[in-house]
Amino acid sequence: MKIKFLVLVGLLLVLAVLLGGCATGLSASSWPGVTADTNYAYIAGGPYVYAVNLQTGAEVWRFPAKAATSTPYYATPALTPDGQLIVGSFDHKLYSLNTQSGAENWVFDQAKDRWIGGVLVTSDTIYAANADYKLYALSFTGTLKWVTPFQADQAIWGSPVSDGTNVYFGTLGRHVYAVNAQTGRQTWVQTVDGAILGSPVLGLDNTIYVGTYGGVLVSLNTGNGSILRQETASSWIWHGPAQDGTNVYVGDANGKFYAFPMTGTGQPWTQQLNGAIVGSPLVWDSTIIVGTESGNVYFIDNTGQNVRPVTVPGKIYATPAAAGTLVLIAPTSGTNLLVALDQNGAVKWSFTPAK
Amino acid sequence: MWETIIVNPFTNVLLLIYKLIGGNFGIAIILFTILIRLITHPLMAAQIKSSTKMTEFQQSKQWQDIQKKYKGDKEKLAQEQMNLYKELGISPFASCLPSIIQIPLIFGLYQSIMRALAPTPGQLLIMTRVVYPFFHLAALVPLNSKFLWMNLGQPERVYMFGVGIPLLAIIVALTTYVQSKVTMPASTNPGDQGAQMNKMMALYMPLLLGYFALTFASGLSVYFITGNLIGVAQYALLGKVNWRALIPGYKPDTTALVRNK
Repeated sequence: MKIKFLVLVGLLLVLAVLLGGCATGLSASSWPGVTADTNYAYIAGGPYVYAVNLQTGAEVWRFPAKAATSTPYYATPALTPDGQLIVGSFDHKLYSLNTQSGAENWVFDQAKDRWIGGVLVTSDTIYAANADYKLYALSFTGTLKWVTPFQADQAIWGSPVSDGTNVYFGTLGRHVYAVNAQTGRQTWVQTVDGAILGSPVLGLDNTIYVGTYGGVLVSLNTGNGSILRQETASSWIWHGPAQDGTNVYVGDANGKFYAFPMTGTGQPWTQQLNGAIVGSPLVWDSTIIVGTESGNVYFIDNTGQNVRPVTVPGKIYATPAAAGTLVLIAPTSGTNLLVALDQNGAVKWSFTPAK
Repeated sequence: MWETIIVNPFTNVLLLIYKLIGGNFGIAIILFTILIRLITHPLMAAQIKSSTKMTEFQQSKQWQDIQKKYKGDKEKLAQEQMNLYKELGISPFASCLPSIIQIPLIFGLYQSIMRALAPTPGQLLIMTRVVYPFFHLAALVPLNSKFLWMNLGQPERVYMFGVGIPLLAIIVALTTYVQSKVTMPASTNPGDQGAQMNKMMALYMPLLLGYFALTFASGLSVYFITGNLIGVAQYALLGKVNWRALIPGYKPDTTALVRNK
């Protein structure tokens, strides 16, 4: 009897530990977000936010000083004009950090769910969309600018974009919203065919593009939300498109990479890449850079003719970031948290955090 | 292996139920729990039968005589006990087997709930890969995680005057306690180790499951509560529920046990 009891208690304890592991689930929760200024790369990569020297790849600071397993950071950090780094956490808090020291300036703690997408920073406002279905407008001191945050129909995982008049974002509830940037009131809402997991991109002539989990790239009129055009991909679109003034670029789960002309004069093209495309493409002068789940970074000429793959250890889900003459790649499940490539795809340095 | 045989099928069955009932994940968990209980019912019935046999064994004159006879020889007593188990067809582990089977089910279900609700990009990406092809996943995402007052993907609290009350954790602890008490086999022997163990389990299990409910996603609590209620119903169907055990100060009817011997 005693043995039975001990076995049962032992198994229950194992269950407690295993469930505890599931609850945090750091490795499977998301993937890093990266941004850069002229001196540092900033990466939200699990238990810490790091600042990394762009010249040397050395760690400058990390936040917080001591990691908490329940507080992973994955949202792409954003920089304000007055030198703050704004980054959200899975602990429902949005942090403002000093870019030079990593010291905490302020914390916004009124959201009720995870910060998955990065914030949008304009000249005087931080627009922050949370998985609690709300869009918050904050001043640079972390105080609410709208008395009531805008309430959407579902969780918001992507960063908002703005044309100065409205703020635009998509929800998992298959809606695209335009919200007045000053008042926080809804300008319009449009239904699309699938959940929107990533960010929209503003196009030309009052258009906005979103990619959907249903595998459709949708173009909408920013004035009234009417659907202008829909292009079908071969599978889901995750992080959303990018544009260079000529084409809008997007990749899908089957590794198909598409260029759709934004005006009637361009020519569409597609490239079959190796591995699912999760992150958004990066437009870097006349080159389009996109990472795939198989650990390849592709440098593609904007005509779709010249495709140069570079292998980086790990899976690439994060959107690449440009930093001067470098492109920053943040692989998941690899040996490095951050890899800096030059224009030819050669590795300039890689960053692995010290334990 | 674990993913392939437990978590992925669980996730797909949950999604299938969710789809069939029109998009209520709370009801899907309840129906899934009933399904699991129906599948494991033969084990539960075997456990009840084995527990009854064990109780009878503990009360039997034959066993009490052997205990007296080999009082000073623990090794011989254990040997005689095993012989008697064999003779009477009692398996000492049969009564705890269903409880042990519950453990991987709880773990698998928790992973399935979190995977299906996909509250983070990583979990949605994994779900995208494990859902069977006949599901049109894009039409299901996002799953409706709201059930009654709960968000099934988050630990539950009911806020009153600014204080978060873990109502579901309390219900989990309470129903676990009730289930343990009313299904506990009666014992007349104060030295009965089995009865002592049952008493300890009746005390610790509500605390443990209550802690899980407090800490983890409320979908798991829905599973616990449904499982507890079905557990009581299963015992009731087999005529093994003792509601009087809930009365404070209740003592088992020793004369009935003696009469049965």
